[in-house]
Amino acid sequence: MFKLLEGPQTLGRGKIFWSCFLAVLAGALAYPLFADSYDVGNFAYFLIWIFMALGLCLMWGYGGMLSFGQTLFFGIAGYGYGVLAINMGGGTATIGALVLSVFLAMLAAGILGYFMIWGGINGIFFGIVTLSATLVLAFFLGQTAGPEWHIGPARLNGFNGMKGMDPLTVGDFYIEGSALYYVMIALIVIVYLALRMLVNSGIGNVIVATRENPQRAEMLGYDVRKYQLLTFVIGSGLAGLSGALYTSWGQFITPSSIGLPAAAMPIVWVAFSGRSDLTATLVGSFLLLFGFQTITVYSQQAALVLMGALLLATVMLAPQGFVLGIGRLVAGWWRGRRRDDGAVMAEAGRLQSEES
Amino acid sequence: MSAEVFSVFYQFADVFAFLILSAAGLAIVFGMMGVINMAHGEFIMCGAYVTVGLVNLGVPLAIAQALAALTAGLIGVLVEFLVVRRFYKRPLDSLLATWGLSLIVTQSMLLIVGSAVRGIGTPEGSFAIGGYTFSTYRLVLFGCAVAVLAGLYVIFMKTRFGVIARATMQNAAMAKALGARTGRIYAISFGIGTGLAGLCGALYAPTMTLIPTMGATFVVESFVTVVIGGANVLLGTAPAAVFLAMIRMALNASYGQIIGQIGMLVAVILIIRVMPEGLSSVLVRRGR
Amino acid sequence: MISGRKLGMVLLGAMLGTAASMSAAQAAEPPLKVGLLEDVSGDLAFMGMPKLHGSQLAVEEINKSGGILGRQIELIHLDPQGDNARYQEFGRRLLNRDKVDVLIGGITSASREALRPIVDRTTTPYFYTNQYEGGVCDASMISMGAVPEQQFSTLIPWMVEKFGKKVYVIAADYNFGQISAEWNRKIMKDLGGEVVGEEFIPLGVSQFAQTIQNIQKAKPDWLLTINVGAAQDSFFEQAAAANLNLPMGSSIKIMLGFEHKRFKPPALNNMHATANWFEEIDTPEATEFKKRWHAKFPDELYINDMGYNAYNALYMYKTLVEKAKSTKLEDMRKVIAAGDACIDAPEGKVCIDPKSQHTSHRMRLISVGPKHEVKVEKDYGTIQPYWLGEIGCDLTKKNDKDQYTPSHLPKKS
Repeated sequence: MFKLLEGPQTLGRGKIFWSCFLAVLAGALAYPLFADSYDVGNFAYFLIWIFMALGLCLMWGYGGMLSFGQTLFFGIAGYGYGVLAINMGGGTATIGALVLSVFLAMLAAGILGYFMIWGGINGIFFGIVTLSATLVLAFFLGQTAGPEWHIGPARLNGFNGMKGMDPLTVGDFYIEGSALYYVMIALIVIVYLALRMLVNSGIGNVIVATRENPQRAEMLGYDVRKYQLLTFVIGSGLAGLSGALYTSWGQFITPSSIGLPAAAMPIVWVAFSGRSDLTATLVGSFLLLFGFQTITVYSQQAALVLMGALLLATVMLAPQGFVLGIGRLVAGWWRGRRRDDGAVMAEAGRLQSEES
Repeated sequence: MSAEVFSVFYQFADVFAFLILSAAGLAIVFGMMGVINMAHGEFIMCGAYVTVGLVNLGVPLAIAQALAALTAGLIGVLVEFLVVRRFYKRPLDSLLATWGLSLIVTQSMLLIVGSAVRGIGTPEGSFAIGGYTFSTYRLVLFGCAVAVLAGLYVIFMKTRFGVIARATMQNAAMAKALGARTGRIYAISFGIGTGLAGLCGALYAPTMTLIPTMGATFVVESFVTVVIGGANVLLGTAPAAVFLAMIRMALNASYGQIIGQIGMLVAVILIIRVMPEGLSSVLVRRGR
Repeated sequence: MISGRKLGMVLLGAMLGTAASMSAAQAAEPPLKVGLLEDVSGDLAFMGMPKLHGSQLAVEEINKSGGILGRQIELIHLDPQGDNARYQEFGRRLLNRDKVDVLIGGITSASREALRPIVDRTTTPYFYTNQYEGGVCDASMISMGAVPEQQFSTLIPWMVEKFGKKVYVIAADYNFGQISAEWNRKIMKDLGGEVVGEEFIPLGVSQFAQTIQNIQKAKPDWLLTINVGAAQDSFFEQAAAANLNLPMGSSIKIMLGFEHKRFKPPALNNMHATANWFEEIDTPEATEFKKRWHAKFPDELYINDMGYNAYNALYMYKTLVEKAKSTKLEDMRKVIAAGDACIDAPEGKVCIDPKSQHTSHRMRLISVGPKHEVKVEKDYGTIQPYWLGEIGCDLTKKNDKDQYTPSHLPKKS
C-alpha cells in the first residue's frame, strides 16, 4: 500500500525527496521548542487553511472541476461545528462536533455534487453553480441577526457572526497553542499522505483520465460520474475540515468567511502554487498565506498592491505555478549539472499535458 | 391602474438595463474570448471615475461618458497587449492574472485618488404617473442597454470585422492561416469589451457612490448573466438578462431585496441544471 | 490677578517637573504600547482613514505634552482590510506578540465581535470607538461612541412631532440595521406612531428603483435611513433623481458617512440626525480641535464622529491610567466604577457610565438644508447611556460578556 505514496500523479520520489520530507517534518516538529508561542499559534492558524487548498487541488488540479464552493462547505462545517459544540455542551464532545460537522459538509457536498454531476454540469458552469450556492448561503446567514434564528441555544447571529462555542477540548484541556500546532501537523501529514495514495491508486488514475477526456474514460467502462462525485465529496470535506477547525480556533465565524471575496481565495492559493500537484499546493499555499500576512503587517496600505503584483508576476513568469516553477528551475539546474536533460524534459512534458 | 402597469415595466427595464450594461463587456471578453476577467469591475470603476473627473473639469456629461468608455477601451487594449495576450491558451490562469491586476488597480486608486469622490448628481429630472414619481435618467439607461445590444449585433454579425472576429475566436489557427491578423483582432475585441465595461461605469456614475471597490457590486451579476447566456453570447445574453430581470423584479417587488438576490442565484443554479450548456444552446437548437 | 500669576508659576513648575521626570523616566520606562486596528484598505477605507488620523493626532499631542504617567506612547497600527479573519489574526498578534497595553479599533460590529472573544481572554482593555447598535455588556470593552438611547430616543420623537406619525424604514440587512429597526419599532409604539414599511437591504446592493416605489406606495411622513456602506448610499442619489422628496432621519448619516460632502446637493436635503460630534460644531473647543486636525491632515475631507471618538479614546485612556496610576484593566475599572472617568472633549465633558462602560455624550440634533448646509436644530445636553443599566447590566457586579437588544434581554437572576 505504501508503494502508492509515489507514482505518476505526484511529483517527488526516491530517497532525496523523502529525506527532504522528513527533514521538513522534523524541523516543523522542533519549531515550537525555540519559537515564540505567538508564532507557533500563528503557524497553526495557517495550517488550518491548507486542507481547503488540498481539497481544491484534488478537485481542480486532478479532477478538472473548478469549484468556487470551497467556502460553502467551509461555512457549513464551520457553522455546524459551532451549533453542535454549543448544543452538545463543550468538553470532549467538541471532538464529536468536529467529526460530525465535517460529515455534514460531505453530506451537503454529496447532495450538491449529485445534483450537478448527474445533470451534466461541467467546465465554467460548474464554477458558477458552486459560486451561486456559496453566495446563497452567505446571504441567508447574513440576515439571521434576529433572536428567532437559533438552533437550540446556538444563535446564528447574522453578519456579526456566531460565537460562544468551545474550542477543541479533551477533558478540561483546550487544544490551543503548541498542542493545536502538533494536532495540525499530524492532520496535515495524514491528509497529505492519504491524498498521495489516493491519486496514485487506480481511483486516482480514473480521476485524472476523466479530467483529460471524460468520453474516453467512459468508453473504457468507467462510470465517470461516480468518480467525480467521490472527488467532489472528498475535496469539499477537506474544506469542511478547515471550516470546523477555523471556528474552533477563533471561537467565531461570520458569513463573510463564506461569501466573496473569501470564496476566491482558495482558487488563488491553488493557482498560485501550481494546481497540478499536491506537494506544490501544500508548500505554495503555506508560503502565500504567510507572505500575505507578512506583507499586510509591514506595508500598511501598499499591501494589496504588492499582493496583486506578486500574483501577476507569478502567473506571467512561472506559468506552472510558483512552487512548480521554482521546483523546475532547481531541478533543471541540478540535473543540468548531471547532464541528464532527458528527465527534465520528461517531467516538463508531463506537466505540459495537464495544461490543456 | 396605468400607473401600476408602467411601474412594473419601469422596474423591469431598470433591472434589465443593469444586467445588460454590466454584462455586455464581459460577454465579449469572457463569453467569446474565454478570458476570465476578474478585473471587469475595475474597468467599470475606471469608466465611472473618468466620467466624474471630466464632468468636474467642466466637460458635458454625455461627452464625458463617451470619453470614459473610450479611455477604458484603450486601457483594455494596453492590458491585452501587456498581460492578457499570454493567457489565451491557458484561460484559467487569466483568472489569477486579472485578479492580481484588480487588486493593484483598486488599491492604487485608493492611494492616488483617495477613498471617496464627490458625486455629480443625476441629470434629466423626474416625471410623475399616478401617485408615483420616476427618474427619467433610468429610462435613458434602458435605452442605452438596448442600443448596446443592437450595436453588438451589428458589429459582430453584419460587419467584416465581426465575421473575422468570430472566426478567430472559433479557430485562431485556421483564421490565421486564411490571412486574418488574429493578434490585432484579439486586441480590438478585448478593447471593445473593456470599453463597454467602461460605458457601464460611465452611465451609472451619476447614480452611485464612487469608491475604488465599486466595481465589485457589478461582478457577480455580470458573470452570472453571461454564463446563463451560454456559448453563443450574442444570442444568449439578452434572453438571459430578460429572464433574470423578470425573476428578480418579481421577487424584489413581493418579498424584498434579500429574497430577490437569493432567488436569482437559485434560479441560476436551476437553469444551469436544466440547460447545462446555457440558454443559447437551446435557442440555437430550436432555430435549426 | 495674583492668583492667576501664582497658577502660572505652579503650572510652569509642574511642567518643568514633568519634563525633568520625563527625561529620567524615559531612560528607565519603556513606552506604552497602543494597538490600533483600523481598515484603511478596502470598502471601509473612507471611514477608517479618519479613525487612524484621530488616533495619530491624539498620540502626537499626548507624547508632546509628556506622555502618560511620564511614559511615551508607541502606536502600533495594523490594517485588517475589512476582513474579520484578519481582525482575529491581528488582534492576537497585538495582544500576544506585541503585548500591547491597550487595544483600540474595529469599524463594523462584526469586527468588534471578532475581537471580543480574543480580548476577553486577556486582561487588556479594549476601546471600541464607533457609534453602534448598543447593548454590549462586557467588562473588557469600553465604548466611546453614541448608542441608540442617545440617538434614537432623541431623533424619533422629534421627527414624529415635526413631520408626522408614519415612518418607513430602510435598513441594512444585518445586525446593526435590524437592531436599529427594532429600536425604532419600540419607540414608535410608545409614541403611538405607525411603521408603514420596513425594508432590509442586503449589503452591497446599489440599485433602489423598487425601494423608491415601495416607499411611494406606503406614503410615509418621513423615512428612517439606516442603510450602510458606499453601495447602499447610492439610495440618496437615486431617491433624489426620482424626486422622492421626503424628510429623512438617521443615526449614521452626515456625521459618520459625511454624505452631504460626498453627494451633490440637494440629494441629502432634509436629512436629520442626532450626533455627539459633526465637523460643523462651532464651539471654541471644537474649533480649536478642528484647527489642530486640519493642520496635521490638510487633505481630510471631513472629520467624522468615528475619527473624533478615536481621538477621544486615547485621552480617555490617558485619564484612566493616570487616575488609576496603573495600566491594569482592574485598576482602571475601579476608576470607572467610582464614576471618575471623565474627560473634557471637544464636544463638552463626557464620562464613562460605571454599569455599562459606555460613554455619556452631549447630543445635538442637526439637519441638512438644500445646499447641504448643516444646522443645529436642538441641543439635548448630556445624555447618559442608560439603557444597559436599566435592563440589568451592571459590570461593577457581574461580567455578562453578551450583547443585548430590546428582544434579547438579560435573564432575570
